[in-house]
Amino acid sequence: MTAPEAILSVQDVRHAFGGVQAVNGCSLQVPAGSITALIGPNGAGKTTLVNLVTGMMRLQGGSVEYAGQNISHWAPDRVARAGLLRTFQLSREFTKLTVLENLLVAATGQIDESLFGALFRRRSVQKQERALVEKARLLLSIFSLDDLRDEWAENLSGGQKRLLELARAVMAEPRMLILDEPMAGVNPALMTRLEEHIRDLRRQGITFLIVEHNLHVVERLCDLVIVMAEGKTLAAGAMSEHRANPEVVRAYLGSGAGPAE
Amino acid sequence: MDTPLAYYLANLAVYFLIYCMLTMGLNISFGMTGILDFAYITFMAVGAYVAGVVALGPATLDSQMTYILGLNWPFPLPLIAGGVAAGLFGALVGLLAMRRLRSDYLAIVLVATWSISWNLASNFTGLFNGTTGLLNVPQPLATNFNADPNSYVYVFIPIAAICVVLFFVVAYRIERSPFGRALRAIRSDPDVAAAFGKRTMRLRLQAMMMGCMYAGLAGALTILYIGAMNPSAWAIVETVIVFSALLVGGRGNVFGAILGALLVRIVIIEGTGLLPQVPNHPELLGALRNIAIGVLIIIVMYFRPQGVLPERRRRYELKPRRAQRVREAARDSA
Repeated sequence: MTAPEAILSVQDVRHAFGGVQAVNGCSLQVPAGSITALIGPNGAGKTTLVNLVTGMMRLQGGSVEYAGQNISHWAPDRVARAGLLRTFQLSREFTKLTVLENLLVAATGQIDESLFGALFRRRSVQKQERALVEKARLLLSIFSLDDLRDEWAENLSGGQKRLLELARAVMAEPRMLILDEPMAGVNPALMTRLEEHIRDLRRQGITFLIVEHNLHVVERLCDLVIVMAEGKTLAAGAMSEHRANPEVVRAYLGSGAGPAE
Repeated sequence: MDTPLAYYLANLAVYFLIYCMLTMGLNISFGMTGILDFAYITFMAVGAYVAGVVALGPATLDSQMTYILGLNWPFPLPLIAGGVAAGLFGALVGLLAMRRLRSDYLAIVLVATWSISWNLASNFTGLFNGTTGLLNVPQPLATNFNADPNSYVYVFIPIAAICVVLFFVVAYRIERSPFGRALRAIRSDPDVAAAFGKRTMRLRLQAMMMGCMYAGLAGALTILYIGAMNPSAWAIVETVIVFSALLVGGRGNVFGAILGALLVRIVIIEGTGLLPQVPNHPELLGALRNIAIGVLIIIVMYFRPQGVLPERRRRYELKPRRAQRVREAARDSA
Protein backbone atom coordinates (compact mmCIF):
# COMPACT_ATOMS: atom_id res chain seq x y z
CA MET A 1 0.00 0.00 0.00
CA THR A 2 1.42 3.44 -0.96
CA ALA A 3 1.26 6.39 1.38
CA PRO A 4 -1.51 8.87 0.47
CA GLU A 5 -0.37 11.93 -1.41
CA ALA A 6 0.15 15.08 0.63
CA ILE A 7 -2.45 17.79 0.03
CA LEU A 8 -0.42 20.29 2.06
CA SER A 9 3.32 20.41 2.11
CA VAL A 10 5.24 22.94 4.21
CA GLN A 11 8.97 23.27 3.59
CA ASP A 12 11.44 25.06 5.87
CA VAL A 13 8.99 27.84 6.72
CA ARG A 14 10.27 30.75 8.84
CA HIS A 15 8.77 33.75 10.55
CA ALA A 16 10.10 36.02 13.28
CA PHE A 17 8.40 38.72 15.35
CA GLY A 18 11.26 41.12 16.03
CA GLY A 19 13.86 39.01 17.79
CA VAL A 20 11.49 36.11 18.50
CA GLN A 21 11.77 33.33 15.92
CA ALA A 22 8.19 32.02 16.11
CA VAL A 23 8.51 29.55 13.24
CA ASN A 24 12.03 28.41 12.60
CA GLY A 25 12.41 26.14 9.60
CA CYS A 26 9.25 24.11 10.05
CA SER A 27 8.47 21.36 7.56
CA LEU A 28 5.47 19.05 7.55
CA GLN A 29 3.13 17.18 5.24
CA VAL A 30 -0.60 16.59 5.59
CA PRO A 31 -1.87 13.50 3.71
CA ALA A 32 -4.96 14.04 1.57
CA GLY A 33 -8.12 12.74 3.22
CA SER A 34 -6.55 12.51 6.68
CA ILE A 35 -7.34 14.06 10.01
CA THR A 36 -3.95 15.30 11.09
CA ALA A 37 -3.22 16.89 14.45
CA LEU A 38 -0.68 19.60 15.14
CA ILE A 39 0.25 19.63 18.80
CA GLY A 40 2.93 21.26 20.87
CA PRO A 41 3.54 23.50 23.86
CA ASN A 42 2.26 27.07 24.04
CA GLY A 43 4.51 29.30 21.99
CA ALA A 44 5.61 26.43 19.74
CA GLY A 45 4.49 28.45 16.69
CA LYS A 46 1.39 26.42 15.75
CA THR A 47 -1.00 29.32 15.22
CA THR A 48 1.71 31.35 13.48
CA LEU A 49 2.25 28.41 11.15
CA VAL A 50 -1.49 28.30 10.40
CA ASN A 51 -1.43 32.03 9.69
CA LEU A 52 1.52 31.55 7.34
CA VAL A 53 -0.06 28.64 5.50
CA THR A 54 -3.34 30.51 4.97
CA GLY A 55 -1.65 33.72 3.80
CA MET A 56 -2.64 35.78 6.83
CA MET A 57 1.04 36.40 7.59
CA ARG A 58 3.87 36.76 5.12
CA LEU A 59 6.46 34.03 4.84
CA GLN A 60 10.00 35.15 5.62
CA GLY A 61 11.44 31.94 4.24
CA GLY A 62 10.49 28.52 2.95
CA SER A 63 7.52 27.50 0.85
CA VAL A 64 3.98 26.16 1.12
CA GLU A 65 2.45 23.86 -1.46
CA TYR A 66 -1.24 23.04 -1.46
CA ALA A 67 -2.93 20.63 -3.88
CA GLY A 68 0.05 20.79 -6.22
CA GLN A 69 0.22 24.61 -6.29
CA ASN A 70 2.85 26.80 -4.69
CA ILE A 71 0.75 29.13 -2.51
CA SER A 72 3.68 30.63 -0.60
CA HIS A 73 2.84 34.26 -1.24
CA TRP A 74 -0.85 34.08 -1.97
CA ALA A 75 -3.28 36.48 -0.28
CA PRO A 76 -5.66 34.83 2.23
CA ASP A 77 -8.72 35.29 0.02
CA ARG A 78 -6.97 33.51 -2.85
CA VAL A 79 -5.94 30.67 -0.56
CA ALA A 80 -9.54 30.35 0.58
CA ARG A 81 -10.90 30.34 -2.95
CA ALA A 82 -8.47 27.49 -3.73
CA GLY A 83 -10.32 25.45 -1.08
CA LEU A 84 -8.05 25.80 1.95
CA LEU A 85 -10.02 27.27 4.83
CA ARG A 86 -9.41 27.79 8.49
CA THR A 87 -11.15 28.55 11.75
CA PHE A 88 -9.72 30.66 14.55
CA GLN A 89 -8.46 30.00 18.06
CA LEU A 90 -11.14 32.32 19.45
CA SER A 91 -14.47 32.13 17.62
CA ARG A 92 -14.70 35.01 15.18
CA GLU A 93 -18.24 35.04 13.91
CA PHE A 94 -19.56 37.96 11.88
CA THR A 95 -21.29 39.56 14.83
CA LYS A 96 -23.87 41.73 13.09
CA LEU A 97 -24.92 39.08 10.64
CA THR A 98 -27.53 36.54 11.58
CA VAL A 99 -26.52 32.91 12.07
CA LEU A 100 -27.96 32.07 8.65
CA GLU A 101 -26.20 35.02 7.01
CA ASN A 102 -22.90 33.87 8.51
CA LEU A 103 -23.28 30.76 6.41
CA LEU A 104 -24.59 32.53 3.32
CA VAL A 105 -21.68 34.94 3.23
CA ALA A 106 -19.21 32.05 3.54
CA ALA A 107 -20.35 30.35 0.35
CA THR A 108 -17.57 30.66 -2.18
CA GLY A 109 -18.03 31.19 -5.90
CA GLN A 110 -21.09 33.40 -5.44
CA ILE A 111 -21.84 35.15 -8.67
CA ASP A 112 -22.79 38.79 -8.42
CA GLU A 113 -21.27 39.46 -5.05
CA SER A 114 -20.40 42.88 -6.39
CA LEU A 115 -21.87 46.32 -6.88
CA PHE A 116 -22.78 45.44 -10.45
CA GLY A 117 -24.57 42.30 -9.34
CA ALA A 118 -26.45 44.15 -6.60
CA LEU A 119 -27.79 46.68 -9.07
CA PHE A 120 -28.26 44.91 -12.35
CA ARG A 121 -28.44 41.13 -11.98
CA ARG A 122 -31.13 40.67 -9.40
CA ARG A 123 -32.79 37.69 -11.04
CA SER A 124 -29.67 35.52 -11.08
CA VAL A 125 -28.89 36.68 -7.54
CA GLN A 126 -32.33 35.66 -6.30
CA LYS A 127 -32.05 32.24 -7.91
CA GLN A 128 -28.65 31.70 -6.33
CA GLU A 129 -29.91 32.95 -2.98
CA ARG A 130 -32.70 30.38 -2.88
CA ALA A 131 -30.22 27.55 -3.45
CA LEU A 132 -27.80 28.93 -0.86
CA VAL A 133 -30.48 29.40 1.77
CA GLU A 134 -31.61 25.82 1.26
CA LYS A 135 -28.08 24.52 1.66
CA ALA A 136 -27.40 26.74 4.68
CA ARG A 137 -30.63 25.66 6.39
CA LEU A 138 -29.65 22.01 5.89
CA LEU A 139 -26.25 22.60 7.43
CA LEU A 140 -27.78 24.51 10.34
CA SER A 141 -30.16 21.60 10.93
CA ILE A 142 -27.25 19.14 10.93
CA PHE A 143 -25.34 21.34 13.39
CA SER A 144 -28.48 21.87 15.54
CA LEU A 145 -28.49 25.62 14.95
CA ASP A 146 -31.53 25.95 12.70
CA ASP A 147 -33.75 27.33 15.46
CA LEU A 148 -31.26 30.13 15.96
CA ARG A 149 -30.92 31.01 12.28
CA ASP A 150 -32.40 34.51 12.60
CA GLU A 151 -30.43 35.48 15.72
CA TRP A 152 -27.48 37.85 15.55
CA ALA A 153 -24.42 35.58 15.65
CA GLU A 154 -22.99 37.61 18.55
CA ASN A 155 -25.84 36.38 20.76
CA LEU A 156 -24.81 32.70 20.56
CA SER A 157 -23.13 30.90 23.45
CA GLY A 158 -19.46 29.92 23.22
CA GLY A 159 -20.28 26.33 22.24
CA GLN A 160 -22.83 27.42 19.65
CA LYS A 161 -20.24 29.76 18.16
CA ARG A 162 -17.87 26.78 17.79
CA LEU A 163 -20.58 24.87 15.92
CA LEU A 164 -21.30 27.92 13.80
CA GLU A 165 -17.63 28.24 12.88
CA LEU A 166 -17.52 24.66 11.67
CA ALA A 167 -20.84 24.91 9.82
CA ARG A 168 -19.71 28.15 8.19
CA ALA A 169 -16.47 26.56 7.06
CA VAL A 170 -18.35 23.56 5.62
CA MET A 171 -20.68 25.93 3.75
CA ALA A 172 -17.63 27.12 1.81
CA GLU A 173 -17.07 23.55 0.54
CA PRO A 174 -13.36 23.39 1.38
CA ARG A 175 -11.01 20.66 0.25
CA MET A 176 -8.98 21.16 3.38
CA LEU A 177 -9.91 22.71 6.70
CA ILE A 178 -7.53 23.88 9.40
CA LEU A 179 -9.18 24.04 12.82
CA ASP A 180 -7.31 26.09 15.41
CA GLU A 181 -8.15 24.64 18.84
CA PRO A 182 -11.74 23.70 18.01
CA MET A 183 -12.32 22.07 21.40
CA ALA A 184 -11.12 25.00 23.54
CA GLY A 185 -13.81 25.84 26.11
CA VAL A 186 -16.18 23.19 24.77
CA ASN A 187 -18.13 20.91 27.14
CA PRO A 188 -17.72 17.10 26.81
CA ALA A 189 -21.11 16.50 25.13
CA LEU A 190 -20.50 19.15 22.50
CA MET A 191 -16.96 17.86 22.07
CA THR A 192 -18.34 14.45 21.11
CA ARG A 193 -20.69 16.06 18.61
CA LEU A 194 -17.89 18.11 17.08
CA GLU A 195 -15.81 14.96 16.75
CA GLU A 196 -18.68 13.21 14.97
CA HIS A 197 -19.10 16.13 12.59
CA ILE A 198 -15.39 16.11 11.78
CA ARG A 199 -15.45 12.36 11.06
CA ASP A 200 -18.53 12.80 8.85
CA LEU A 201 -16.90 15.59 6.92
CA ARG A 202 -13.74 13.57 6.46
CA ARG A 203 -15.89 10.81 4.95
CA GLN A 204 -17.19 13.43 2.52
CA GLY A 205 -13.61 14.06 1.40
CA ILE A 206 -12.44 17.01 3.50
CA THR A 207 -8.88 16.85 4.84
CA PHE A 208 -8.36 18.23 8.35
CA LEU A 209 -5.39 19.74 10.11
CA ILE A 210 -6.34 20.29 13.73
CA VAL A 211 -4.34 22.34 16.21
CA GLU A 212 -5.42 20.93 19.56
CA HIS A 213 -4.27 20.62 23.16
CA ASN A 214 -6.80 17.99 24.21
CA LEU A 215 -4.78 14.82 23.68
CA HIS A 216 -7.76 12.53 24.30
CA VAL A 217 -9.53 14.10 21.34
CA VAL A 218 -6.34 13.93 19.28
CA GLU A 219 -5.91 10.26 20.04
CA ARG A 220 -9.53 9.41 19.23
CA LEU A 221 -9.79 11.48 16.10
CA CYS A 222 -6.48 11.83 14.31
CA ASP A 223 -4.60 9.49 11.98
CA LEU A 224 -1.36 11.40 12.14
CA VAL A 225 -0.01 13.61 14.91
CA ILE A 226 2.67 16.20 14.22
CA VAL A 227 4.49 17.64 17.23
CA MET A 228 5.89 21.17 17.02
CA ALA A 229 8.28 22.77 19.47
CA GLU A 230 10.37 25.92 19.28
CA GLY A 231 9.10 26.76 15.82
CA LYS A 232 9.92 23.49 14.10
CA THR A 233 8.59 19.97 13.70
CA LEU A 234 9.83 17.67 16.39
CA ALA A 235 8.21 14.43 15.28
CA ALA A 236 5.37 13.02 13.20
CA GLY A 237 3.58 9.73 13.76
CA ALA A 238 0.89 8.05 15.82
CA MET A 239 0.14 9.30 19.34
CA SER A 240 1.38 6.02 20.82
CA GLU A 241 4.77 6.55 19.14
CA HIS A 242 5.01 10.04 20.61
CA ARG A 243 4.36 8.77 24.11
CA ALA A 244 7.41 6.59 23.75
CA ASN A 245 9.53 9.38 22.27
CA PRO A 246 11.61 10.98 25.05
CA GLU A 247 12.07 14.21 23.07
CA VAL A 248 8.31 14.67 22.72
CA VAL A 249 7.73 13.72 26.34
CA ARG A 250 10.30 16.28 27.48
CA ALA A 251 9.09 19.05 25.16
CA TYR A 252 5.34 18.68 25.53
CA LEU A 253 3.72 15.60 27.03
CA GLY A 254 5.55 15.55 30.37
CA SER A 255 6.67 12.46 32.20
CA GLY A 256 3.20 11.68 33.59
CA ALA A 257 1.61 11.30 30.16
CA GLY A 258 -0.10 7.96 29.81
CA PRO A 259 -2.37 6.65 27.09
CA ALA A 260 -5.72 8.36 26.74
CA GLU A 261 -8.65 6.60 28.32
CA MET B 1 -49.04 78.55 -1.87
CA ASP B 2 -46.68 81.46 -2.51
CA THR B 3 -46.42 82.57 1.09
CA PRO B 4 -43.16 83.07 2.99
CA LEU B 5 -43.97 80.00 5.09
CA ALA B 6 -44.55 77.81 2.04
CA TYR B 7 -41.31 79.07 0.54
CA TYR B 8 -39.50 78.38 3.79
CA LEU B 9 -40.89 74.83 4.04
CA ALA B 10 -40.13 74.08 0.41
CA ASN B 11 -36.59 75.34 0.89
CA LEU B 12 -36.29 73.15 3.97
CA ALA B 13 -37.54 70.15 1.98
CA VAL B 14 -34.77 70.64 -0.58
CA TYR B 15 -32.11 70.78 2.13
CA PHE B 16 -33.60 67.68 3.74
CA LEU B 17 -33.51 65.79 0.44
CA ILE B 18 -29.90 66.80 -0.17
CA TYR B 19 -28.97 65.73 3.35
CA CYS B 20 -30.70 62.37 2.80
CA MET B 21 -28.35 61.84 -0.12
CA LEU B 22 -25.38 62.57 2.13
CA THR B 23 -26.45 60.23 4.93
CA MET B 24 -27.45 57.44 2.53
CA GLY B 25 -23.98 57.58 0.96
CA LEU B 26 -22.20 57.56 4.29
CA ASN B 27 -24.39 54.64 5.27
CA ILE B 28 -22.87 52.60 2.43
CA SER B 29 -19.22 53.43 3.15
CA PHE B 30 -19.32 53.76 6.95
CA GLY B 31 -22.66 52.27 8.05
CA MET B 32 -22.41 49.05 6.07
CA THR B 33 -18.68 48.71 5.42
CA GLY B 34 -17.13 50.40 8.44
CA ILE B 35 -14.83 52.75 6.51
CA LEU B 36 -14.17 55.75 8.77
CA ASP B 37 -14.42 58.21 5.92
CA PHE B 38 -13.50 61.42 7.74
CA ALA B 39 -12.94 63.10 4.38
CA TYR B 40 -16.59 62.55 3.46
CA ILE B 41 -17.50 66.21 3.08
CA THR B 42 -14.57 66.60 0.66
CA PHE B 43 -16.37 64.36 -1.81
CA MET B 44 -19.48 66.49 -1.47
CA ALA B 45 -17.32 69.48 -2.35
CA VAL B 46 -15.75 67.69 -5.31
CA GLY B 47 -19.22 66.94 -6.66
CA ALA B 48 -20.31 70.53 -6.14
CA TYR B 49 -17.26 72.12 -7.73
CA VAL B 50 -17.20 69.76 -10.71
CA ALA B 51 -20.91 70.25 -11.33
CA GLY B 52 -20.34 74.00 -11.02
CA VAL B 53 -17.45 74.29 -13.44
CA VAL B 54 -19.12 72.13 -16.08
CA ALA B 55 -22.41 74.03 -15.76
CA LEU B 56 -20.75 77.47 -15.89
CA GLY B 57 -19.49 78.93 -19.12
CA PRO B 58 -15.81 79.75 -19.59
CA ALA B 59 -14.39 82.10 -16.97
CA THR B 60 -14.21 85.66 -18.30
CA LEU B 61 -13.08 88.96 -16.92
CA ASP B 62 -16.75 89.99 -16.56
CA SER B 63 -17.52 87.05 -14.29
CA GLN B 64 -14.66 88.07 -11.99
CA MET B 65 -13.97 84.43 -11.29
CA THR B 66 -11.19 82.06 -12.22
CA TYR B 67 -11.85 78.38 -12.51
CA ILE B 68 -11.07 75.37 -14.68
CA LEU B 69 -13.21 73.93 -17.49
CA GLY B 70 -16.29 76.16 -17.93
CA LEU B 71 -18.07 73.83 -20.33
CA ASN B 72 -21.60 75.22 -20.28
CA TRP B 73 -23.06 71.70 -20.12
CA PRO B 74 -26.83 71.47 -19.93
CA PHE B 75 -28.70 69.73 -17.12
CA PRO B 76 -28.50 66.85 -16.10
CA LEU B 77 -24.87 66.51 -17.23
CA PRO B 78 -23.45 68.68 -14.40
CA LEU B 79 -25.26 66.53 -11.86
CA ILE B 80 -23.93 63.32 -13.39
CA ALA B 81 -20.43 64.79 -13.72
CA GLY B 82 -20.43 65.80 -10.04
CA GLY B 83 -21.44 62.32 -8.88
CA VAL B 84 -18.99 60.53 -11.19
CA ALA B 85 -16.08 62.84 -10.31
CA ALA B 86 -16.63 62.38 -6.58
CA GLY B 87 -16.95 58.60 -7.01
CA LEU B 88 -13.72 58.41 -9.00
CA PHE B 89 -11.90 60.67 -6.56
CA GLY B 90 -13.16 58.46 -3.72
CA ALA B 91 -11.93 55.35 -5.51
CA LEU B 92 -8.52 56.97 -6.03
CA VAL B 93 -8.23 58.02 -2.38
CA GLY B 94 -9.43 54.58 -1.29
CA LEU B 95 -6.95 52.85 -3.55
CA LEU B 96 -4.07 54.83 -2.08
CA ALA B 97 -5.22 54.77 1.53
CA MET B 98 -6.93 51.43 2.04
CA ARG B 99 -4.39 49.14 0.47
CA ARG B 100 -2.09 48.93 3.43
CA LEU B 101 -3.76 50.80 6.28
CA ARG B 102 -5.84 49.61 9.21
CA SER B 103 -9.09 51.46 9.73
CA ASP B 104 -7.78 53.85 12.42
CA TYR B 105 -4.79 54.91 10.32
CA LEU B 106 -7.04 55.13 7.31
CA ALA B 107 -9.22 57.61 9.23
CA ILE B 108 -6.17 59.83 9.87
CA VAL B 109 -5.15 59.67 6.20
CA LEU B 110 -8.68 60.67 5.23
CA VAL B 111 -8.59 63.69 7.56
CA ALA B 112 -5.32 64.63 5.87
CA THR B 113 -7.04 64.22 2.50
CA TRP B 114 -9.69 66.71 3.56
CA SER B 115 -7.02 69.14 4.81
CA ILE B 116 -4.99 68.97 1.58
CA SER B 117 -8.09 69.32 -0.59
CA TRP B 118 -9.51 72.21 1.46
CA ASN B 119 -6.26 74.15 1.42
CA LEU B 120 -5.77 73.46 -2.26
CA ALA B 121 -9.27 74.68 -3.15
CA SER B 122 -8.90 77.73 -0.88
CA ASN B 123 -5.49 78.85 -2.06
CA PHE B 124 -5.22 77.71 -5.66
CA THR B 125 -7.52 80.36 -7.08
CA GLY B 126 -7.32 79.09 -10.62
CA LEU B 127 -9.04 75.84 -9.67
CA PHE B 128 -12.41 76.81 -8.16
CA ASN B 129 -11.98 80.55 -7.50
CA GLY B 130 -10.30 80.15 -4.07
CA THR B 131 -12.02 81.27 -0.87
CA THR B 132 -14.70 83.17 -2.77
CA GLY B 133 -15.69 79.97 -4.51
CA LEU B 134 -18.01 79.55 -7.45
CA LEU B 135 -20.95 81.93 -7.89
CA ASN B 136 -23.87 82.33 -10.26
CA VAL B 137 -23.97 78.68 -11.32
CA PRO B 138 -26.99 78.37 -13.63
CA GLN B 139 -30.01 76.73 -12.01
CA PRO B 140 -31.27 73.75 -14.00
CA LEU B 141 -34.55 74.18 -15.90
CA ALA B 142 -35.11 77.66 -14.40
CA THR B 143 -35.61 79.27 -17.79
CA ASN B 144 -37.80 76.41 -19.07
CA PHE B 145 -40.28 77.13 -16.27
CA ASN B 146 -39.77 80.89 -16.18
CA ALA B 147 -38.95 80.55 -12.51
CA ASP B 148 -37.83 83.57 -10.51
CA PRO B 149 -35.61 83.24 -7.41
CA ASN B 150 -38.71 82.86 -5.18
CA SER B 151 -40.50 80.24 -7.23
CA TYR B 152 -37.45 78.25 -8.34
CA VAL B 153 -37.60 76.08 -5.24
CA TYR B 154 -40.78 74.46 -6.59
CA VAL B 155 -38.94 73.55 -9.79
CA PHE B 156 -36.04 72.10 -7.88
CA ILE B 157 -37.99 69.98 -5.37
CA PRO B 158 -39.00 67.38 -8.00
CA ILE B 159 -35.42 67.26 -9.31
CA ALA B 160 -34.04 66.57 -5.83
CA ALA B 161 -36.88 64.18 -4.99
CA ILE B 162 -36.36 62.10 -8.14
CA CYS B 163 -32.63 61.83 -7.37
CA VAL B 164 -33.24 60.83 -3.77
CA VAL B 165 -35.90 58.24 -4.62
CA LEU B 166 -33.72 56.74 -7.34
CA PHE B 167 -30.70 56.51 -5.07
CA PHE B 168 -32.78 55.30 -2.16
CA VAL B 169 -33.73 52.32 -4.33
CA VAL B 170 -30.06 51.77 -5.18
CA ALA B 171 -29.08 51.94 -1.48
CA TYR B 172 -31.91 49.60 -0.53
CA ARG B 173 -30.88 47.07 -3.18
CA ILE B 174 -27.28 47.19 -2.05
CA GLU B 175 -28.35 46.67 1.57
CA ARG B 176 -30.39 43.58 0.68
CA SER B 177 -27.94 42.03 -1.80
CA PRO B 178 -25.13 39.49 -1.34
CA PHE B 179 -22.83 42.46 -2.00
CA GLY B 180 -24.28 44.28 1.03
CA ARG B 181 -23.96 41.11 3.11
CA ALA B 182 -20.30 40.79 2.15
CA LEU B 183 -19.74 44.46 3.08
CA ARG B 184 -21.27 43.88 6.51
CA ALA B 185 -19.06 40.80 6.96
CA ILE B 186 -16.00 42.92 6.11
CA ARG B 187 -17.16 45.57 8.59
CA SER B 188 -17.47 42.89 11.26
CA ASP B 189 -14.08 41.25 10.66
CA PRO B 190 -12.11 41.89 7.46
CA ASP B 191 -9.54 39.17 8.22
CA VAL B 192 -12.19 36.48 8.58
CA ALA B 193 -13.97 37.74 5.47
CA ALA B 194 -10.68 37.38 3.55
CA ALA B 195 -10.23 33.91 5.07
CA PHE B 196 -13.55 33.03 3.42
CA GLY B 197 -12.38 34.20 0.02
CA LYS B 198 -13.83 37.70 -0.02
CA ARG B 199 -11.83 40.20 -2.06
CA THR B 200 -11.97 42.68 0.78
CA MET B 201 -9.99 45.46 -0.90
CA ARG B 202 -12.10 45.36 -4.04
CA LEU B 203 -15.38 45.28 -2.13
CA ARG B 204 -14.33 48.12 0.21
CA LEU B 205 -13.25 50.18 -2.78
CA GLN B 206 -16.62 49.67 -4.45
CA ALA B 207 -18.39 50.73 -1.24
CA MET B 208 -16.15 53.77 -0.83
CA MET B 209 -16.70 54.78 -4.44
CA MET B 210 -20.45 54.40 -4.12
CA GLY B 211 -20.59 56.39 -0.88
CA CYS B 212 -18.49 59.17 -2.40
CA MET B 213 -20.72 59.24 -5.45
CA TYR B 214 -23.73 59.93 -3.22
CA ALA B 215 -21.76 62.73 -1.53
CA GLY B 216 -20.85 64.12 -4.94
CA LEU B 217 -24.48 64.07 -6.04
CA ALA B 218 -25.46 65.87 -2.84
CA GLY B 219 -22.82 68.50 -3.59
CA ALA B 220 -23.94 68.83 -7.19
CA LEU B 221 -27.55 69.27 -6.09
CA THR B 222 -26.44 71.90 -3.57
CA ILE B 223 -24.54 74.04 -6.07
CA LEU B 224 -27.22 73.68 -8.73
CA TYR B 225 -29.85 74.82 -6.22
CA ILE B 226 -28.13 77.69 -4.48
CA GLY B 227 -25.79 78.53 -7.34
CA ALA B 228 -22.69 78.89 -5.17
CA MET B 229 -20.08 76.89 -3.27
CA ASN B 230 -17.04 77.97 -1.31
CA PRO B 231 -14.65 76.33 1.20
CA SER B 232 -16.59 77.55 4.27
CA ALA B 233 -19.39 75.15 3.28
CA TRP B 234 -17.19 72.09 3.70
CA ALA B 235 -15.27 72.63 6.90
CA ILE B 236 -14.28 69.40 8.68
CA VAL B 237 -17.09 69.85 11.21
CA GLU B 238 -19.58 69.21 8.40
CA THR B 239 -18.27 65.63 8.11
CA VAL B 240 -18.80 65.23 11.85
CA ILE B 241 -22.40 66.41 11.49
CA VAL B 242 -23.14 63.87 8.73
CA PHE B 243 -21.62 61.14 10.90
CA SER B 244 -23.77 62.35 13.80
CA ALA B 245 -26.89 62.17 11.68
CA LEU B 246 -26.13 58.58 10.66
CA LEU B 247 -25.24 57.46 14.18
CA VAL B 248 -28.39 59.02 15.61
CA GLY B 249 -30.67 57.66 12.87
CA GLY B 250 -29.13 54.18 12.82
CA ARG B 251 -26.14 52.97 10.83
CA GLY B 252 -26.47 50.06 8.44
CA ASN B 253 -30.13 50.88 7.76
CA VAL B 254 -31.12 53.16 4.90
CA PHE B 255 -34.25 54.21 6.79
CA GLY B 256 -32.05 55.13 9.75
CA ALA B 257 -29.96 57.28 7.44
CA ILE B 258 -33.06 59.17 6.34
CA LEU B 259 -34.32 59.56 9.89
CA GLY B 260 -30.90 60.88 10.92
CA ALA B 261 -31.07 63.49 8.16
CA LEU B 262 -34.46 64.53 9.48
CA LEU B 263 -33.43 64.68 13.13
CA VAL B 264 -30.09 66.41 12.71
CA ARG B 265 -30.50 68.54 9.58
CA ILE B 266 -34.06 69.61 10.15
CA VAL B 267 -34.85 69.32 13.87
CA ILE B 268 -31.49 70.33 15.35
CA ILE B 269 -29.90 72.59 12.76
CA GLU B 270 -33.11 74.26 11.65
CA GLY B 271 -34.57 74.23 15.15
CA THR B 272 -31.63 76.06 16.68
CA GLY B 273 -31.75 78.49 13.74
CA LEU B 274 -35.25 79.52 14.81
CA LEU B 275 -34.08 80.63 18.25
CA PRO B 276 -33.91 84.41 18.72
CA GLN B 277 -30.56 86.06 18.21
CA VAL B 278 -28.82 87.21 21.36
CA PRO B 279 -27.59 90.78 20.95
CA ASN B 280 -23.80 91.15 20.71
CA HIS B 281 -23.33 87.38 20.43
CA PRO B 282 -23.74 86.62 16.72
CA GLU B 283 -21.96 83.26 16.94
CA LEU B 284 -23.99 81.94 19.82
CA LEU B 285 -26.58 80.18 17.65
CA GLY B 286 -23.91 78.30 15.70
CA ALA B 287 -22.34 77.17 18.95
CA LEU B 288 -25.75 76.15 20.29
CA ARG B 289 -26.34 74.09 17.17
CA ASN B 290 -23.14 72.14 17.69
CA ILE B 291 -23.85 71.73 21.41
CA ALA B 292 -27.32 70.37 20.60
CA ILE B 293 -25.86 67.86 18.13
CA GLY B 294 -23.28 66.79 20.71
CA VAL B 295 -25.93 66.34 23.40
CA LEU B 296 -28.13 64.35 21.00
CA ILE B 297 -25.24 62.00 20.18
CA ILE B 298 -24.47 61.48 23.87
CA ILE B 299 -28.11 60.71 24.63
CA VAL B 300 -28.47 58.29 21.71
CA MET B 301 -25.15 56.56 22.38
CA TYR B 302 -26.07 56.15 26.05
CA PHE B 303 -29.63 54.92 25.68
CA ARG B 304 -29.68 53.47 22.15
CA PRO B 305 -26.16 53.02 20.80
CA GLN B 306 -27.39 51.24 17.71
CA GLY B 307 -29.35 54.39 16.68
CA VAL B 308 -33.06 55.13 16.64
CA LEU B 309 -33.68 52.77 13.70
CA PRO B 310 -31.02 50.08 14.07
CA GLU B 311 -29.80 47.64 11.46
CA ARG B 312 -32.54 45.12 10.73
CA ARG B 313 -32.17 41.39 10.91
CA ARG B 314 -33.04 39.95 7.55
CA ARG B 315 -35.07 36.77 7.53
CA TYR B 316 -34.76 34.41 4.60
CA GLU B 317 -37.87 32.30 4.21
CA LEU B 318 -37.96 29.13 2.15
CA LYS B 319 -40.99 28.12 0.16
CA PRO B 320 -42.82 25.20 1.87
CA ARG B 321 -41.64 22.69 -0.74
CA ARG B 322 -38.00 23.66 -0.27
CA ALA B 323 -38.36 23.76 3.53
CA GLN B 324 -39.79 20.24 3.42
CA ARG B 325 -36.85 19.11 1.31
CA VAL B 326 -34.44 20.56 3.89
CA ARG B 327 -36.22 18.75 6.74
CA GLU B 328 -36.08 15.44 4.89
CA ALA B 329 -32.40 15.85 4.01
CA ALA B 330 -31.58 16.75 7.63
CA ARG B 331 -33.45 13.64 8.83
CA ASP B 332 -31.55 11.47 6.34
CA SER B 333 -28.18 12.79 7.40
CA ALA B 334 -29.05 12.26 11.08
